[in-house]
Amino acid sequence: MKSVLVTGATTSIGERLVRSLVADTRIDHVLAVGIEPPDSALPFAHGKRLTYLRVDLARERRIRELLFGPVRELGVEVVVHLAQHSVAHDEGRHVHAQNVEALRSILELSDRHPTIRRLLVKSYADVYRVSLELPVLVTEDHPLNLSADSPQYVRDRVEADLTACARMGLADCEIVVLRTAEALGPGTGSQMYDFLEAPVALRPAGFDPMVNVASIADIVVALEKATHGSGEGVFNIPGYDTLPLSESIRKWGTPQIPMPGALIRPLYGLRHRLRGSDFRYGINRRRMHYGLVLDGNRAREILDYTPENPIDWPVGGPARRS
Amino acid sequence: MAVPASVARLFSSAFGGASVRDRAERLEFPDAGHGYDLFGLNPDFVALGETVASPMYDRYFRVESHGNENIPATGPGVLAANHSGTLPFDGAMVWMDVYRNTNPPRVPRAIADYFVPSLPFVGTLFARCGVVGGSRGNARALLESGNLLLIFPEGTPGIGKPWSKRYKLQDWRQGHCELAIRYRAPVIPIAVVGAEEQMPQLAQIPLGGAMPYLPIPATLFPLPVKYHIYYGEPVRTDLDYTPEQADDPGVLKEAAQRVKERVQALIDKGLKERKGIFR
Repeated sequence: MKSVLVTGATTSIGERLVRSLVADTRIDHVLAVGIEPPDSALPFAHGKRLTYLRVDLARERRIRELLFGPVRELGVEVVVHLAQHSVAHDEGRHVHAQNVEALRSILELSDRHPTIRRLLVKSYADVYRVSLELPVLVTEDHPLNLSADSPQYVRDRVEADLTACARMGLADCEIVVLRTAEALGPGTGSQMYDFLEAPVALRPAGFDPMVNVASIADIVVALEKATHGSGEGVFNIPGYDTLPLSESIRKWGTPQIPMPGALIRPLYGLRHRLRGSDFRYGINRRRMHYGLVLDGNRAREILDYTPENPIDWPVGGPARRS
Repeated sequence: MAVPASVARLFSSAFGGASVRDRAERLEFPDAGHGYDLFGLNPDFVALGETVASPMYDRYFRVESHGNENIPATGPGVLAANHSGTLPFDGAMVWMDVYRNTNPPRVPRAIADYFVPSLPFVGTLFARCGVVGGSRGNARALLESGNLLLIFPEGTPGIGKPWSKRYKLQDWRQGHCELAIRYRAPVIPIAVVGAEEQMPQLAQIPLGGAMPYLPIPATLFPLPVKYHIYYGEPVRTDLDYTPEQADDPGVLKEAAQRVKERVQALIDKGLKERKGIFR
């Protein structure tokens, strides 16, 4: 029996994970942390095995109070860090504090914490560099996107990932980084989801790369398996569905217009200004030309994770594998 | 290129005929769930590719296949061929020849230069027919899953070789042998005879960027040369070496030289046996 701390518990993935952990008889107590007020967070019935706390992780003192307060008192052994600012257009010091500095603090404090023995960090496929010279099928040793020209959304994700990786083997607690495929669902911060949800999908003419997307259910399964696992390392967490970009748009039921890439960026910029939508073509441009598919062999062998929950596509239903 | 697979199926049914459809139906490939493999190959587009390339294969270049029993029926393999002809018709003809002369049909996964996937429309169509970008990771994944790789060790300099150097193998790279040794695959030497005369080049305009140069050919269209494709006995890189030797420069040089000599010998045999450029 172990207790688990989940940060980012009010995100759609966090909420599903908390539900799952509360139902898991191997878990003694779940300490859920988010930025929503307690009366509106986690709107599902739960007993005494769940505690919700509202904590602003952008403030280092609050993290210290959390870890050496309730976390110590509950004897939390595993921390699942999901908190990440999800809006691609938001930038600045506060966003960076939430994305990177919060994780840095958790890593540092976990190292000398009396009860924490395992820290899971949910990272993203966005950290990988996409280039003509690089494989489409991406393993964990694939080069990361270290371009200084990337927007903060990408830079923060890469920095957080590397910050966790740099502590592996040096800290007393085990560190696990899960680089997950984009989870198609509301509240996941998925760029692809926002792209597909638009009234019309504008994509580069002449290019139709392979994309890999995950269901929230599969990401939650991977997090659960890593919670109960042992050892540390970096793992790709692919989704069940791998298909051409055009096919994903078609299956989502969104009309698509192929057009020159030079026109797509300003049009999505205009959409953001008019509608407040979040998709940024600049972040996704290379993936929408050359593709990226996560190789999940390592997660299958070590974490026993295999994606089994396909996306329930609005048009045509879920995929069937031969 | 966002033609749905259903349109490709319809096109190949209408213009390719029953044999083309039958071959596509029998094609074994690792379906990633939506009818495509992880790299984008789709059997309906393979059938479309065969439909489009068939007139060239059957009537224009009148391809004659020799020794295709040397193509492995199962398991990984590296097909290593000479490269020439200004435009890569030789790649398309070898692709067709392997696809048609294996049972069950196998699609050779041609390893293209880096710039190919950056070509709009063409890059996508090629990917649907099994072509992949020339990165080590792509090649590794394909060999580990038991595919046939088609590699032209002369690379882009081979396809642009001048008339005076036809049928003389250019700088022969070693990457194909490194892959074959590391991932336990035999190398099947291939000679393409005919392609080296199809489109003599007058000049090359350097472009920089992803595409190295723009060729200026002497003819607008390739000449109707007759293709002879020869498959030699496999070089057993999977048995003659250990995977650890893939890091030994001396071993790689020796293995690549063995393959090069086999390809050159097949070329010489083909040149001797043919009755003329167009026959």
